[in-house]
Amino acid sequence: MGEFEVHRVRFFGLVPAGVRCLACEPRGGRLALARTDGAVEVYNFAANYFQERVIPGNEARSVEALCWAAGDRLFGAGLGGDITEYDLARLCAARSVDGCGGPIWSMAANSTGTQLAIGCEDGSVKLFQVVPGGIQFERNLDRRKGRILCLSWHPSDTHIVAGSIDILRVFDVCSGQTVQRIMVNYHVQKVKRECIVWSIAFLSSGTVVTSDSFGRVQFWDWERGTLLESHTVSTSAVLSLAVSEKEDSIIVGTSTGATYQFQLLPVKMGSLEKRWVRTKPFQHHTHDVRAVAHSSTALISGGLDAQLVIRPLMEKMQKKGYDAALRKFTFPHRRLVSCARKARLLLFQFSQHLELWRLGSTNKTGKDGEVLPLCRMPEHLVQLKSKGPEHIYCSCVSPCGSWVAYSTASRFHLYRVQYEGDSISVKKVPKVPKLLPPAYQLQFSADSGSLFVASARGSVHVLQLLELGGCKLLHTFRPPSGSPEAVYLLAASADGHWVAAVSGDWAIHIYNLKCFKHHCAVPAYSCAVTALAIHPVTNNLVIAYSDQQLFEFSIPEKQYTAWSRMVQNCGLHRVWLERDSPITHITFNPKNPSHILLHDIYMFCVLDKSLPLPDNSALLMNQSTLKQLPENARQRQLHAFKICKKFQPLLFADLLDENCLVMVERPIMDIKTQLPLPIQQKKFGT
Amino acid sequence: MARRQKAAAAGKRGPPAALLSPPSSEDEAPEEVSFGVAKEAAETERKLVGEAARRHRELLKEKRRRRQELFTEQKKRKLLPDAVLKELAAAPPARADGRAAAANRGKHGGDGAAKQRRGQAQRQVKTDKQRKGARSKGNYTAVRLKDQSLTGLHLQLAKDFLNTQLYGPDTNRAQANEFFSLENKKNPVKKAAVQFVDKSWGQEKKQRATRFKKHWLSTQIKNQV
Repeated sequence: MGEFEVHRVRFFGLVPAGVRCLACEPRGGRLALARTDGAVEVYNFAANYFQERVIPGNEARSVEALCWAAGDRLFGAGLGGDITEYDLARLCAARSVDGCGGPIWSMAANSTGTQLAIGCEDGSVKLFQVVPGGIQFERNLDRRKGRILCLSWHPSDTHIVAGSIDILRVFDVCSGQTVQRIMVNYHVQKVKRECIVWSIAFLSSGTVVTSDSFGRVQFWDWERGTLLESHTVSTSAVLSLAVSEKEDSIIVGTSTGATYQFQLLPVKMGSLEKRWVRTKPFQHHTHDVRAVAHSSTALISGGLDAQLVIRPLMEKMQKKGYDAALRKFTFPHRRLVSCARKARLLLFQFSQHLELWRLGSTNKTGKDGEVLPLCRMPEHLVQLKSKGPEHIYCSCVSPCGSWVAYSTASRFHLYRVQYEGDSISVKKVPKVPKLLPPAYQLQFSADSGSLFVASARGSVHVLQLLELGGCKLLHTFRPPSGSPEAVYLLAASADGHWVAAVSGDWAIHIYNLKCFKHHCAVPAYSCAVTALAIHPVTNNLVIAYSDQQLFEFSIPEKQYTAWSRMVQNCGLHRVWLERDSPITHITFNPKNPSHILLHDIYMFCVLDKSLPLPDNSALLMNQSTLKQLPENARQRQLHAFKICKKFQPLLFADLLDENCLVMVERPIMDIKTQLPLPIQQKKFGT
Repeated sequence: MARRQKAAAAGKRGPPAALLSPPSSEDEAPEEVSFGVAKEAAETERKLVGEAARRHRELLKEKRRRRQELFTEQKKRKLLPDAVLKELAAAPPARADGRAAAANRGKHGGDGAAKQRRGQAQRQVKTDKQRKGARSKGNYTAVRLKDQSLTGLHLQLAKDFLNTQLYGPDTNRAQANEFFSLENKKNPVKKAAVQFVDKSWGQEKKQRATRFKKHWLSTQIKNQV
């Protein structure tokens, strides 16, 4: 594998925000997720649950409810009182409409996706019509006191059920009147606390399912107003509930972090009478599960511990494969760290600020696995706070360390950082060219002379950085056929000849920087690109896709390389293809041109193109066994993938020089101690 | 000192020694001591000891009192004379403001006697502020409309509701340290308690320590040069 001196960095204090709500696209393969800081993410089931779109949050725009309507339009509503439509191509809030009812707690679209109902703080339920280019207020339903915390449409769109405090009400959509009113606590003697209906669902049979703060999941007959069944699931609140499309399975999430599945099962074998039975408990989260969703094949839950868990239902699976494995996502599928190789600096991106650190150094050497003492501690140089409520989209530090750039939804900022001995001065570069913000990705050229800005509609701006601390726009590249989608990944070649850009429709375009022309496009592939990089010596573009495939494309020859064809012919190792997290960064070793360094959250891999590929019978992670073998046996066992799993969870890895690596880890326990408080749980024997 | 102690000890042992036989008649049998006499002797001794303790306590009390007096006197010495203070309180606010401003200007000047004047000015400003607060009762206060809007209030209410429902008193929340302690205990690799893993813990102290270290190092280097 080669020996490296590794900077094991653990001072990136990232705490991902908790998951607030989830929404599966009806009859579609996408999942929308909103976090407590207002960020909205879209995961694509077809692309191996890749987080393909991220809309960073905004302090003024919390999201309490998300729903898909009118096909693939995504709406969000929050305590700010606005209903916001998201532009998924440009990754920003497209337009928002005031709900006029105070903070909005819940929103639901009807089965055809033509109407939205919102439940407000002031107790009103309002209907909005989804029209092309926006939404339009239609009317209010019967208003009563008490905030409406949850809503659900009847599948036939004739009734709406709304859950409030101690009560649930059924509205007739045509007349707008309350047709039924059920006291949730009526049959319970002497309750002191109020009972909050956290989540509700209306089944087509006329059954209303509620989950409440007393830890109960209850089934009601809405016409008679009677309780059909009550299951006490937990001693603490049941916060979320979702029903499958076939209405035979329900998932509920509790504040202890446990999720439970309910299934509609026949009482006896072959009997027609069916009842709801609590079947499977899962404890994937440590904190409150405030959002659950039920796709056709999986139970999906998101907790305040920032985890998204996708648990496939084995009875729905035909064969073992990628879809049949449990998936847990805690970290974003994109890069939040950038590295200045020459200056040995790291730039960390947080939601509203950036941190610039200088790496520590040592003058000792040691054997494999030894921890070297530091002669200079890592140093926190600068903290850059972004003004205003908007969160940061992307950030980058130049290889020489003297430029820092970041972008928010409405502004692009460029700073010049100067180091004089121990003191540092940060100067904002005035008169940055007016680009169409936001920038989705920033990348400096290897000589720090220009900056590439990924922008909307598939365009890439090239800014020239001047020595005196100014910049000017050199050129804007656009794909020849045009594209509505934003560019989300960039790669520049070390010799300053080429830049490659990936847009949201997964097309990769390569541009020539010498004559400012479109060079070529990489043949289309049916999966999302998760990382790409251009080899500094051979100018081959290495591409990692979310289905774990690797391709190598020769830019000068405009075709896949022989090695890439060989990989496609032989196929990659089974274990490699079954990994669940996408490769987020690729880099190269200039001294060893056949090496490709890549990493995902759980492993770091040196891919040696000169060695044979492993076949499925061989062990993929064979580094520890290789160490024990004698030299001649080792030669026979060697294969191309040299994998190291020592550093987990790995947020970033890069090569500083020939034999020096930097690894940025974020231990899960460090995050958990900084999350909101969990529910006390009695453990046996303590 | 030692002699005095010895004498005191002798004095204390006085009455029982008088009752006992004199040291010269060593070969004689010890004199018989009646129960009543012995009891009396013991009681006198206890009384003596008690009195000594009481005296000691009183002495301490006296000392403390004197020190307290000294302190109050010192404080008084620092303050301006009563007459001046009264005059200051009676002065109209506008003039006081002007004087404070003048004093501030004096501060910028930074001449030799500025220190005394500065102290005065600060005290003056303080009393002035108190009076202003009392005076502005019933008057208008300036607020930003943005903070006071109805939506802001509603938003705050909604957030408070959510917070009490999820993290309020009845919700039985545990501290992270308690929650993860068992996991830590059962782990084959033992680690420090979570509260020590938390990097934010004691950050200020640590920063101060590193700053002090830097400072100390620089002074050392300067001294060597």
